[in-house]
Amino acid sequence: MRYSLSATVSKPPCLARRTWQAAVCVIATFGVFGGVARAETPVLREVAVGLDEGVYTLDARLDLALSDSARKAVESGLTLRLDYEIVVDRERRYLPDAQVAALAQRYEVSYHALSQRWLVRNLNTGEQHDYGSLDMALARLGEIRDLPILDAALLSPGLVYFGRVRAVLDLSTAPDAFGWLLFWADDWSGESEWESWTLRP
Amino acid sequence: MDAPTLRRAASAVTVGIGGLLWLAAILFMAQTAQNSDQFSRLHPWILMVNIAGLAVLVGLLGAKLAQLIRDWRGHVIGSRLKARMVWIFGVLATLPILLVYFFAVQFLNRGIDSWFNVEIRSSLDDALVLSRSALEVRMREHLADTAAAADELGASAATMPGLLETYRRQLGAVELTVATDAGAIIAVSKGLSADIVPEDVPGEVLLQVRQGQPFVSLEPQPEGGYLIRTAVPIAAGLPGQERMVLQGLYPVAERLGALADTVQAAYKQFGEKDYLRRPLKASFILTLTVVLLLSLLAAWYGAIFTAQRLVQPIQDLVQGTRAVAQGDLDTRLPLTSHDEMGFLVHSFNDMTRRLRRAREESRSAQQAAETERANLAVILARLSTGVISLERDWRIRTANRAAGMILGDDVEARVGAAFDSVGTEPQGIARQFAGACRQRLEAGVIEWREQFTLQAGTVRRIVMCACTPLPGEGEEPGGYVLVFDDITALLRTQREAAWGEVARRLAHEIKNPLTPIRLSAERIRHRLLPAMHDPKDAQVLERSTETIVQQVEAMKEMVNAFSEYARAPRLEMTAVDLNRMVVEVTDLYRAQGAARNVRLKVDLDPALDVVVVDPGRLRQLLNNLLINSVEALEGQGAGSISVTTRRALRGEAEVVEIAVEDDGPGFQREMIGQVFEPYVTTKAKGTGLGLAIVRRIVEEHGGHIEADNRPGGGARVCVDLPLHHQADGAHGRGPSEQRRERA
Repeated sequence: MRYSLSATVSKPPCLARRTWQAAVCVIATFGVFGGVARAETPVLREVAVGLDEGVYTLDARLDLALSDSARKAVESGLTLRLDYEIVVDRERRYLPDAQVAALAQRYEVSYHALSQRWLVRNLNTGEQHDYGSLDMALARLGEIRDLPILDAALLSPGLVYFGRVRAVLDLSTAPDAFGWLLFWADDWSGESEWESWTLRP
Repeated sequence: MDAPTLRRAASAVTVGIGGLLWLAAILFMAQTAQNSDQFSRLHPWILMVNIAGLAVLVGLLGAKLAQLIRDWRGHVIGSRLKARMVWIFGVLATLPILLVYFFAVQFLNRGIDSWFNVEIRSSLDDALVLSRSALEVRMREHLADTAAAADELGASAATMPGLLETYRRQLGAVELTVATDAGAIIAVSKGLSADIVPEDVPGEVLLQVRQGQPFVSLEPQPEGGYLIRTAVPIAAGLPGQERMVLQGLYPVAERLGALADTVQAAYKQFGEKDYLRRPLKASFILTLTVVLLLSLLAAWYGAIFTAQRLVQPIQDLVQGTRAVAQGDLDTRLPLTSHDEMGFLVHSFNDMTRRLRRAREESRSAQQAAETERANLAVILARLSTGVISLERDWRIRTANRAAGMILGDDVEARVGAAFDSVGTEPQGIARQFAGACRQRLEAGVIEWREQFTLQAGTVRRIVMCACTPLPGEGEEPGGYVLVFDDITALLRTQREAAWGEVARRLAHEIKNPLTPIRLSAERIRHRLLPAMHDPKDAQVLERSTETIVQQVEAMKEMVNAFSEYARAPRLEMTAVDLNRMVVEVTDLYRAQGAARNVRLKVDLDPALDVVVVDPGRLRQLLNNLLINSVEALEGQGAGSISVTTRRALRGEAEVVEIAVEDDGPGFQREMIGQVFEPYVTTKAKGTGLGLAIVRRIVEEHGGHIEADNRPGGGARVCVDLPLHHQADGAHGRGPSEQRRERA
């Protein structure tokens, strides 16, 4: 049993996390970091929710195209972070929607120079895979199949629930000593729009 | 605590807190670079606080500079000095800050570049290649082992599971897997330490093997260490048999794996730093720039603040000085410090306080002097003595009213004019007086006292004048004071008193013997005349005795006239119809005049009412005037006398004017001023007391008399009698009595 999307794109519920940072960055680095090119925004496609043995699962595909500077950053040793943020809310008529479940599926992509392999690590499970190219690793990251998101028993019949998912791309350093510098170099981080669906158990 | 002090304290506290906050923000920003674990998340906020601080400081500084420019253009006091001080302070602060900034940026650039020099990069690359080579030897060995096993497995497919375990043990593999080229696992051999679930053959591996290429790779493990994955195709033992793949997983020695991890970690860390070199430099430079700008702006703001603090007392002093120059001695400057400037402010306040006290004292003295001057002016105005003060150049400085009355000119109105210009007529009393005074002074006598007799037309004045020099600079007098008095009346009074005394003595000493003389002369004639036989002797005797009798009578008349002049009768004032009295008196002289061919004309004012006079004295006055005119016409043949009465105004007073005119020879010009003096006469006969008595009667009635010649010839005597006695009634006292009582 599959649920189709009731809406493709909805407005983000809160202010984008990096908006103010970008503003400060523009002001502070004016003349120092002129000509910054933003990375392409990741786009979630084919988002679908299914019920499999009492568990709602998510299928989705992420179009993720890194800019040259982002590829260079990752090839230089920086770690790429990709989080899938999933939220399920219960609709309430006169009150704000109540959050039923929220989970984040976090991945890391890094380059292992010694083996010349691209490592994809699921931070939730610790599972790790290696690939011969960055594109292969990104393709693996972009494929979400049967990701369990919610136990159907947690939902009450007759009520309306809204689920949404988005992908957040970020950058981090292996040791965090220079993490603050990413504020100046993070010209390719981004996040997709929220993709939502409706659940009517 | 007053409002300005509170404002200053609040401003100081605000600046202090703001400065501490910015200093903390700068330190936090520096800590971000040194201890990023704690501050990396706060870095944007800290940066934003610093930039906000910069913006606030720029705003404050801009406002201050704009104010400074406005003050400069508006020529506000102290603005140029303040601008100069701000410029000096600012430049002195800017130059070292810029130098430090320049060298810091250079040092930073070179320091960070030195961290990533070519040698380190090359060493790390070499280490990586070396590690990779060491592992590749193992990888090639395991690939060869896997290939050999695959050949044998292909040859004996039937015993594959057993062989697989055997080979795994021989080769030391963690796992050996036989799978189809589609990835379906056919057989697996795993060690006891490995997971039960067999490892999938990745699509990447299958793709390469399917192309006939062996696959080998080094796979880092999540828990650390490495595995070497190999995959080779298994040759088909029978035609049509499905193609298969042998995948082997081989462990890497723990020691080797650890070394490889170390190299990998170092390489990765260096790569990250190398990539972040540019942001790192930019961040440091930005931090330095922010600190620089904060320092510069704070230095300039401090320069303005300091200049303001230094210039403010000077501005206060200048404004205070201007206020004092404009007469505001209540100006007090705020004492803001206890240094030299504070001492100066204290001295200024002390000076203004003293000046104010001195001004108050001066004002009091001036007020006292003004009061004295006003009193003196009142006294001078009330004085009957004329007082004129002159400048050295003969300009009139002050004059009182009496001076004008004596000189017949409004001298008070001529203050500032030359003394020679007083009077309206060139030969008038005033000009004569000024000329006489100037003559004395030009003779070199600056202090004198002299009597002047001034004659202008019918006016004759005798003036006693005293001149005193005013103190001046050095020996030169600062001016002159002329004090003079019209003593004409005084002298006349003295003369009249003297003549009165003479008359009284004459009446007493001469009149008494006259009667025996006359009686003796008559007895001699009575006794001797009948006895004388010679007619000639009798005629001589008779003529002589007659002469004696006549002369005695004449002398008696003269003595009576003297007695009359000396007598000061009590006036019996009563209302009299003046016109009627004039008619009565003139009628007495009509017959006498007609006999002498003298025509008598009377012109009376019908509007004239009664006047309050002593009728006897007034009748005597009219008689004397008519007698004087009749006698003046004697020997002339035909003549005429006219008597006129009319009401007239003399100033604000209403008077009755009685004018007696004749067409006789008139008064001698040189005698006009003295015709009312006793015994001043040009006639052959008469006592010379007629007009003197007339003037006395006029003065007794408070009137005024003038004598002058008519333009067509003849004399004219004009008497003015006041009309104000009517209210006093017929029993009032005469003016002469009132004058006597006042005296």
